[in-house]
Amino acid sequence: MFQQNVTVPNRLGVHARPAALIVKKASAFKSEIGIAAGGEEVNGKSIMGVMTLAAGQGTELLVTASGPDEQRAVEELCALIGSGFGED
Amino acid sequence: MEELRVQRLPLSTRAEAEHEKARFEEALGKTRTELLALASRLGDLIEGRQLIDAHILLVDDPILKRDVHRRISEGMLNAEYAVSQVLSEVIERFESMKDPYTRERSADVRDVGRRIINQLVGAEKEALMKLDMPVVIVARELDPSVTAGLRKDQVLGFATDEGGSTSHTAILARSLGIPAVVALREAAETVQPRQMVIVDGIHGRVIIDPEPDEILYYTELGKRYREAQAALARKSDTPVATSDGRPVELAANIEFSQEAEAAKNCGARGIGLFRTEFLRLLTPDADDEEVQYKAYSHVVKTLAPYPVIIRTLDLGGDKFLGTPGLHERNPFLGYRAIRICLDRPEIFKRQLRAIMRASADGDARLLIPLVSEVSQVVATRGLLAGISADLTSDGIPHNPHMPVGIMVETPAAAIGIDLFLPHVDFVSIGTNDLTQYTLAVDRGSPYVARLFDSMHPAVLRQIASVVQACHEAGKWAGVCGQMAAEPLSVPLLLGMGVDELSVSLSQIPDIREMIGIIDTSMARDLAGRALELPSASEVRSLVRTAIAGRFPGILIDGDGAGG
Repeated sequence: MFQQNVTVPNRLGVHARPAALIVKKASAFKSEIGIAAGGEEVNGKSIMGVMTLAAGQGTELLVTASGPDEQRAVEELCALIGSGFGED
Repeated sequence: MEELRVQRLPLSTRAEAEHEKARFEEALGKTRTELLALASRLGDLIEGRQLIDAHILLVDDPILKRDVHRRISEGMLNAEYAVSQVLSEVIERFESMKDPYTRERSADVRDVGRRIINQLVGAEKEALMKLDMPVVIVARELDPSVTAGLRKDQVLGFATDEGGSTSHTAILARSLGIPAVVALREAAETVQPRQMVIVDGIHGRVIIDPEPDEILYYTELGKRYREAQAALARKSDTPVATSDGRPVELAANIEFSQEAEAAKNCGARGIGLFRTEFLRLLTPDADDEEVQYKAYSHVVKTLAPYPVIIRTLDLGGDKFLGTPGLHERNPFLGYRAIRICLDRPEIFKRQLRAIMRASADGDARLLIPLVSEVSQVVATRGLLAGISADLTSDGIPHNPHMPVGIMVETPAAAIGIDLFLPHVDFVSIGTNDLTQYTLAVDRGSPYVARLFDSMHPAVLRQIASVVQACHEAGKWAGVCGQMAAEPLSVPLLLGMGVDELSVSLSQIPDIREMIGIIDTSMARDLAGRALELPSASEVRSLVRTAIAGRFPGILIDGDGAGG
């Protein structure tokens, strides 16, 4: 298993569009992916899960992955989240 | 997901659960294809594409799949119900979120849920449309959207758990002339696929696994019944009149434009009620003025010179609830018929314009359902006047004086009939709803359906006073409800002076026969006495005694629907 913390930088947080981007990215990996905020973890490939994270600006997320491509999955997801999804 | 109103069907075997899972997977696949097709149609509309993308992610959501599978195999429940349960919880979770943006996304979940369930239900619908051998259909209740596409030549009978004698199933059965028994409460659970059943619509019985002599008996009874029907139908060219020669207008109720020829052939003097809801259901583009005009025009031309009364959309109540997110505790007292139409003038005006154009092809008339306020008639007339002016300036032929009538089916319209008469050319009494609203009985509830009886003196008195008020104002009054088609009520309606009876096609022979044995003074006397009786059952026995021996018993001694 591989894991890493990342802080949500953009003003609107993980709303619908970012959630969709996260799920799409996560689904491209074979590993099982979890994203946790405040102790609550959801399946990173589930749009219903990621949206209910309600991760606003400044929330610290813990991205975990386990499987053959776990390290790359975590790194790319953290890069995506850390970039602010191209928003301000 | 209450608006999806899916059935909860407990499963009993592992194999059934596996089958339900496979159905769910197939529905997911089809929903995905449907969404992709939608996305490609949307092309460059970025906003729309993003929405569809989000919907596809929902369809692909592994948690959705896992939870639905779990509901099916652990809860032993059917796929539709499992989907609606799982998504209801998700919606609830979304709606409890602080972020308003996430809260709004519950609409997406609802939309996707509706698509998946439509695929599941649609597959069943397809199975019904592809019947390859004659069957009896046993169900909790038939859904109008399913029955609209039924292969009628393959249906021998209906048996349903819900509904009363005026439910959709019963009305459909009557219009097709096939036996039906409703309000059985537990037939759907009791009867197994491919089991032999006899549906006795005359006595309101369903026999499961009949004995050989029962089979013999019913085979013969069925044969004789069909022979009698055929014999009655052959008399169709004789004018309809009472035994003392008073002519009676006997018209047909139809739901499909294709029924026009059959109506003409069985001797109907026009269409007393052309329901327009099925048209909308069968053709996705039925809101299109041209599609509607063609259907109306066909019927009007076929029946010319006789009148064709076209009822404007009577949606709501139990019919084709098409308003997403609309929850009403009491839909029959809610958003339906003219109340919806006047709220959506764009849809309503297309229909009015199509009807008005058809008035150039024969004697088209317009009927407004569920009127309770004079202003509803005035508003409709106002729309018609505007449409007529538009048509005139476009040089499109129509009858600017096309007769406009109202359905009298609320006590408001019946008791206040004098308020409405200055604004209408005719009235048609819809006895099903008038009875339901007068007696405060939901005819679809198996627990109170037996209290539903149009022969109730409170209903009869309203009919009598409406007819009288119409005649005093020089206008005619017809009856197009189920009551017109019940042989026992025919003498009463004629005795009260009703000018026209409109019944479904298969009932025209029976009612013609009934009219022929009535003489006017007997009918008047019966009606006068019935109005003084204290209960529906006493009214029934009065009429039954008066006509005993003059009418074939088979047609009046049954309580079952259809026949």
